[in-house]
Amino acid sequence: MLGYRLQKRDEPWSWGAPIIVVGALVLSLGISALLLKLQGKSAVEGLFVLWQGSFGASWALEDALLKSIPIFLCALGVATAFRMQVWNIGAEGQFALGAIGATWAALNFPDLPGYLLMPLMFFSAAVFGGFWAYIPAILRLKLKVNEIISTLMLNYIAILLLEYLVFGVWKDPKSYGFPVTPEFTGGAVIGQIGDSRLHWGFVVCIGAGLGMWAFMRFTRLGFDIKVAGEGQRVAMYSRLPYGKLTILVMAISGALAGWAGCIETSAVVNRLQPSIMVGYGYTAIVVAWLARLHPLYIAISAYLLAALRVGVENMQLELQIPAAFGSIMEGLILMSVLAGQMLVTYKIRRKK
Amino acid sequence: MKGPQDLTRPDSQKATGFADAAPLISLKGITKRFGKVVANKDISLDLYPGRIKALLGENGAGKSTLMNMLAGRFKPDEGYIEVDGVRKEFTSSKDAIKAGIGMVYQHFMLVETMTVAENVLLGQEGSFFINPREMNDRVRKLAVDYELEIDPTARISDLSMGEKQRVEILKLLYRESRVLIFDEPTAVLTPREAFRLFEALWAMTRLGKSVVFISHKLEEVMAIADEVAILRRGAIDDEVMRDKITSKADLACRMVGKEVLLEVTKEDVEIGEKVLEVKNMTGIGLRGINLHVRKGEVVAIVGVAGNGQQELVEGVSGLRKPPKDTIFIMNKPWRKFFAEMTWNNSMSYIPEDRLDLATARNLDLVDNLLLTTGKGFTKGPFLQRDKAAKVAQELVEEYDVRPGRIQALAWQLSGGNLQKMVLARELYRQPHLIVAEQPTQGLDISATEEVWNKLLEARKMAGILLITGDLGEAVQLADRVAVMYCGQIMDEFPVTDTAKLDNIGLLMAGVRE
Amino acid sequence: MLESFIVPLLAATVQSGTPILYATLGEILTEKGGILNLGVEGMMSMAAFVAFAVAYTTGNPWLAFICGGLAGTVMAMLHGFVCITCLGNQVVSGLALTILGVGLCNFLGTPFIGLAAPGFSKFAVPVLSSIPYLGKIFFRQDALVYFCYFIPFIFMIFMNRTRLGIAITAVGEKPGAAAAAGLKAVKLRWMALLGGGFLIGLGGAYLSLAYTHLWANGLAGGRGWIAVALVIFAFWRPGRAVFGAYLFGGVMAFQLRLQAIGTHIPSSLLLMLPYALTILVLIFSAVRGRGGNAPSHLGINIEPEG
Repeated sequence: MLGYRLQKRDEPWSWGAPIIVVGALVLSLGISALLLKLQGKSAVEGLFVLWQGSFGASWALEDALLKSIPIFLCALGVATAFRMQVWNIGAEGQFALGAIGATWAALNFPDLPGYLLMPLMFFSAAVFGGFWAYIPAILRLKLKVNEIISTLMLNYIAILLLEYLVFGVWKDPKSYGFPVTPEFTGGAVIGQIGDSRLHWGFVVCIGAGLGMWAFMRFTRLGFDIKVAGEGQRVAMYSRLPYGKLTILVMAISGALAGWAGCIETSAVVNRLQPSIMVGYGYTAIVVAWLARLHPLYIAISAYLLAALRVGVENMQLELQIPAAFGSIMEGLILMSVLAGQMLVTYKIRRKK
Repeated sequence: MKGPQDLTRPDSQKATGFADAAPLISLKGITKRFGKVVANKDISLDLYPGRIKALLGENGAGKSTLMNMLAGRFKPDEGYIEVDGVRKEFTSSKDAIKAGIGMVYQHFMLVETMTVAENVLLGQEGSFFINPREMNDRVRKLAVDYELEIDPTARISDLSMGEKQRVEILKLLYRESRVLIFDEPTAVLTPREAFRLFEALWAMTRLGKSVVFISHKLEEVMAIADEVAILRRGAIDDEVMRDKITSKADLACRMVGKEVLLEVTKEDVEIGEKVLEVKNMTGIGLRGINLHVRKGEVVAIVGVAGNGQQELVEGVSGLRKPPKDTIFIMNKPWRKFFAEMTWNNSMSYIPEDRLDLATARNLDLVDNLLLTTGKGFTKGPFLQRDKAAKVAQELVEEYDVRPGRIQALAWQLSGGNLQKMVLARELYRQPHLIVAEQPTQGLDISATEEVWNKLLEARKMAGILLITGDLGEAVQLADRVAVMYCGQIMDEFPVTDTAKLDNIGLLMAGVRE
Repeated sequence: MLESFIVPLLAATVQSGTPILYATLGEILTEKGGILNLGVEGMMSMAAFVAFAVAYTTGNPWLAFICGGLAGTVMAMLHGFVCITCLGNQVVSGLALTILGVGLCNFLGTPFIGLAAPGFSKFAVPVLSSIPYLGKIFFRQDALVYFCYFIPFIFMIFMNRTRLGIAITAVGEKPGAAAAAGLKAVKLRWMALLGGGFLIGLGGAYLSLAYTHLWANGLAGGRGWIAVALVIFAFWRPGRAVFGAYLFGGVMAFQLRLQAIGTHIPSSLLLMLPYALTILVLIFSAVRGRGGNAPSHLGINIEPEG
């Protein structure tokens, strides 16, 4: 068709990945600018406001860093599962469960000192998030239930569960009808680092990133996960416990998303409320794929997409552009990266 | 009863009346490259009506590439194809089919979930709607006409290999193909089914069709070909009339390029204790299997593919759970053996599927070494990758695995080099039992020789269960031969028993004296 | 009870099952050709918006309905470009399509929130509508519901009794065999994908043209994902898809009715019903062990040959 055909490269194109990501960003920005134009807004002004909001001021950089924390943790988890070809789309729900778990601890043991309460919250968030991921994992293993759909459905259920809790049993009696839990006690709040707006969750984030990187690179279990990701047959040949590894990666995935939920409730809003569900779990999928599942690149692209979110919020404020603009960009970036990845393994040749 | 020795064509089966006919198809100077590899080099061939042309060559000699160009799936980089003396450009399979070229692939191109009739009619032009009853009737009539009986309403997945092949032939007949290409058609057939196929081929030549028969089995080529073209390293090495070939040995010489046939010397090795014992095993598709392998010996399982060899291998290698108390490895019951299995001094499995079972295609050679030796490079929770890299480098050098870089990914290696890497890894584990499944399939002669020698050498530490479809390989390597048919072992005898060896075709077809 | 609750409930079941049925059939067609399209949710959203916008501006609901279908086709084209042309991962591309489609729908739809557009209203089919009970349930609906009654039959005939249908099945099962038989495997995949996209688009259009006449963001509400799950539940057969779609329609209608009546059960728990049911339905299909009915080459791209 069209006089062009694909030809497989002998060696993968080594510079392909970064070039493709940059190309995808430029293309997506271009299409988004066109959309702005269609809505009768100035594309140039729109992109300028987007830039201002993303990178143009110190508050923007700080905001992006704050937002990249939950995105990074979710993406780290999602990537671990993706590496084993387990399609965990459920970071959003696992995030919600983590938030619920942390809140449970914070509301039930409000008088504990921080050095006890905080680990308890993180522990409970990991267990809740991990459990939410364990359900689809076990369904996939025992019954071959498609995990894409089950994790997705569990997202909807998790959000509704969170709403049920804050509208019902956990509702703050002093909230004048607003669906929020009581504010956390001092021991349950993650504090700021020094004078900055950045909180200690950021350190957790760095620790988790380094930990996962080292785990995948230096441990045998990490190697086993990598091998199992190459296919069930190879895993069987290498005598790996494929089922247990599936459960493990899902549990890790869920626990990391759970931590994200915990940090978001404890450090950012200091209570549980439905507004924490803003789709970080879905953004995480885009991030993981952009980064080709590598922890360092995940950090970079998590920051990038967090900056995009901040930029879009700026657009929303200054130009009244709907927040959905961010999803459009995310979708476009992901699709163009996917399409572009072909260039890593194939060359385009003119037909003779 | 026809054994493999007397497959020769009776005179009544000879096609006559096409002596001076012009070629139906001519290949003119065809060259095809894949990246840097030249798969076909300047190939010219003429295919005449009423004749069977055998295309003989080792695996990897370029036979399939050439035929895929005839079938319109690949396009030649240079050269062209003439149909009835007219130059044609095939852009897809459709063009080739229109030109009257039909192909029966080694791995059947049938849709398993559809019926025989649907498969036969797939891709045929005609009215938008189809009438299943009329469709079935047409296919049934065609089958009866050519004595290729088959139920048109049967689902492909329910058919035997022989029946599936009949469906493939019906497809070609339905399209009135004039040039019929068969790629290794007897690989999946019993000798008796193979003879039925030959009769069908002869019948087709009497109708003036041209048949191309791709094979690497010498006796078959001797039996049915009118002309033989020999393909070596992508080029036509020799083209002779069948009458000019004096004997199988003569043909063999021509095929391997004036070299002697491959033979390896087999030194005597001390026979040790039993490393594998299969006791009266019934289940997972097998019936009453009794078998043992001692350290120092090679036991070959031969038979037509799909007669239970795979089930046996999966059972022994631990991929599939056998019935209780049937398999004993190194004197331990199966369950106990695999529960306690260590990475070395244990069992090695060299599977037929090198790229997606024995290795992970996207991992490098170090990771692929670690696949089965990981436990040997573990310290606490950590993996000693540096140590593994050193060992991998040593193995790559010792076994001459090209291109010699341990950073190479598995898929970048050729079949022979990949197999050498797998062998290197598995022997590095110092196994006491080796299960080798089709260890030289698809390898060229030099790689085959290396693999054979390594396996023979490995007898010093291990007993070898060899599963092969290649009788020559069994004869070269084995001490004992067991013939499998329909999940049973028909007979087991020492390789020195030439009387039984001569009758092996009957055993493979399930006939006991 | 029967007259006042069950019959209206079943009538509502048919109505809310209809968009799911369109989408499920569309996804079955797509998957029969071997392409896994997880973008259904995004495609339905986008189609709902396009249909609404066309109806709002032209006042012609039929034109809007067709345009909704075409919007689905255009979205499917994006998926096809990424997966068929560029050999991208089908799972991730589908997810991206959902993110993109829902985003676009909300972005473009924001100015329309709360506006009303002409759509389809219910009318009784003469004679048939007077059948006791059944008439009220099935034949006092809108035109698109009636239209939808025919689609499963057409679909079945197309898949089993036409050359094109069989060719598409072959491509989903074994593209190599189809290509060897002289079929253009890639072209057939495109046809299945685009045709399926059209049906999915019709399902989305139904939401904004008949299910409600007011524009609101998030109309699809997870129906696209339910459709993807129903394909598995239906074992890729249109007959079972009808059953599955109406089952979900029933649960959604039931849940709405309970909320309307005003029970003590919190609405968030009621809203969970369809999603929980989806998981149950998948477990049920898995226990019945028919996952093996999936086209063998589903989700696997066709690599170009030399």
